[in-house]
Amino acid sequence: MVARPALRRAIPSSRTLLHAESRILRSSFSTTLQSQQKPNNNNNSVPEYAIPDPARPTHFGFETVTEAEKRERVAGVFTSVAESYDRMNDLMSFGWHRVWKDHFVASLNPGFSPLTSSSDPRAPQHILDIAGGTGDIAFRMLHTAHILNGNPDVRVTISDINPAMLSVGKQRSASLPASQQAALSFLEANAEDLTQTKPLGANQVGYSPTTGVPDESVDLYTVAFGIRNFSNIPAALREAYRVLKPGGVFACLEFSKADKHPLFNTIYKQWSFSAIPLIGQLVAGDRDSYQYLVESIERFPSQEDFRDMIVDAGFVVGGQGYEDLTGGVAAIHKGMKPRRK
Amino acid sequence: MMRPSSISLRRPARQILFSSVSTIRAAAPVPTTATHRSLSTSTSTGSGCPCANGSRRPQVKQTQELQQQQQQRQQRQHRNAYHSYDHPSSSAAFTPVEESILSAAYQHVPSHGFTPSALAAGARDAGYLDISPTILPEGAFALIRYHLVKQREELAPRVSELFGGEGHVGARPGLSEWEIRGRVEAVTWERLSANAQVIGRWQEALAIMAQPSYVPPSLKELALLSDEILFLAGDSSVDPSWYTKRASLSTIYAAAELFMTNDHSPEFMDTRAFLNRRLREVNEVGGVFRNLREWVGFTATAGVNVLRSKGVRI
Repeated sequence: MVARPALRRAIPSSRTLLHAESRILRSSFSTTLQSQQKPNNNNNSVPEYAIPDPARPTHFGFETVTEAEKRERVAGVFTSVAESYDRMNDLMSFGWHRVWKDHFVASLNPGFSPLTSSSDPRAPQHILDIAGGTGDIAFRMLHTAHILNGNPDVRVTISDINPAMLSVGKQRSASLPASQQAALSFLEANAEDLTQTKPLGANQVGYSPTTGVPDESVDLYTVAFGIRNFSNIPAALREAYRVLKPGGVFACLEFSKADKHPLFNTIYKQWSFSAIPLIGQLVAGDRDSYQYLVESIERFPSQEDFRDMIVDAGFVVGGQGYEDLTGGVAAIHKGMKPRRK
Repeated sequence: MMRPSSISLRRPARQILFSSVSTIRAAAPVPTTATHRSLSTSTSTGSGCPCANGSRRPQVKQTQELQQQQQQRQQRQHRNAYHSYDHPSSSAAFTPVEESILSAAYQHVPSHGFTPSALAAGARDAGYLDISPTILPEGAFALIRYHLVKQREELAPRVSELFGGEGHVGARPGLSEWEIRGRVEAVTWERLSANAQVIGRWQEALAIMAQPSYVPPSLKELALLSDEILFLAGDSSVDPSWYTKRASLSTIYAAAELFMTNDHSPEFMDTRAFLNRRLREVNEVGGVFRNLREWVGFTATAGVNVLRSKGVRI
């Protein structure tokens, strides 16, 4: 604990640190920069833990590392598993992840509009699929919105921090109908700071960063099996709050705790800690990445704790705020950004 | 306001357990009201966030809104079936945001039915987006539950108007069994009449309520309703008939509701006649059972006495 201030002083050039300091100054003295201030918090100050800090310790599986190091190592994991990602998902969950994803998308019912008497009842929607590299969620969203709900005004932006995962998604999207391909866009971005984004492949043409995702521009923010890899989850939740329109929905599908069923939980833990790294070694030739996967699931907060983190970021939840899937192996959390008073 | 004769606890099991002191207990003030219980059991669930920051537990500055939400959630978990005269249970079945979406959506039920369409239209009216109702975990069933809860809560004021004032609702001394029966019929009819505005959509609502995952909450609402009806009618039984009365009224209410969906008579006259016939039948069956019990009791006592007179030590 004593070493932390010293460590922080040792890296004064860090962009994020300056960012954090300037925010503190801004909220206390400045009036000219009010427009840039995030509208996301009720008490007008972002808690310190929700400001990304590359030097802050976090966990990478069962190890303790800094946030910056976690970012790098997660990038390494997903670059190495990108090619075999879908095949591995099928093997590890016996194909059941498809059922979860289908249910997740069906419960959100994107593109649905009430039949009203006004001229065009179909409202356009913008869906931001964070950590959606391989497009699993985004393609299902487009299918539900364009085909089942007949609403072609639904756009989906796939965002991922990892260009390797995004390019897999880009390849897979080639088999979609042209109208759905036109509604898709790919974005390389860090979910903790969506003000700095670049389209996929921007590196090759010497692209300068765009303005990022504007405030209150997204109807639905989804993140499926991604949020546990984030270095700073509270910061990502606040960023989600910023980009969502009032009434917009934050929806998260993530592995969770099956503690409510002890016997099932024992079998599940046995499977994940012994079989999954082995499958990873045999199929993908990468044991360490899959070891990280199961450890990161273990370290992720329980349903109730994660729900409280969502509420803490300013969202409102309905009912108990989450829905367990398969006894709690996975869970869907949803929150809505309330209307401005 | 304590009435000596009013039985504030509506759960007789306790009183049966302590039957020897039941009269004293029944008249004693009831300390555990809904509010007291929820406050005393409140724990600080959201005080810290065990997030990615590992060892450090950040000091979360709880906003008032957040605390309110959590309190409501706890209140919902600890809601109990006690009827307190001093502390009417607060309506905590829905959070303010749920309430605003559902109340707006409820206006669309006559035209759209209990459907996602009504929910989305309601969300638009309340100033939200088409996607917003997806945070309701039960979907269209939330709208049905809203109807059930609201109509049950509105029953008390309507009934007190019907019976001529606040003081005439609930258990009162001097209410005969016969009067209570009439009042049960009146209150049940009052509740059935509240379905009239959505009756064209009630069949599909019943179909949704019959789906396996929604059966338990629907049955719970039915139990709460029959409890409420009997309470308002002034039933103060503390014997096993507490259960049989509620069970039979639930059955009758469900049947009458189903009958009503196909009733095209003016002002649902046929439904009212149906309801009356069912209630009469229960009373007749109840009378038969009472007579039978009396006969069995008499015969058994007589038999024992005969044996005793023969010198058997019993």
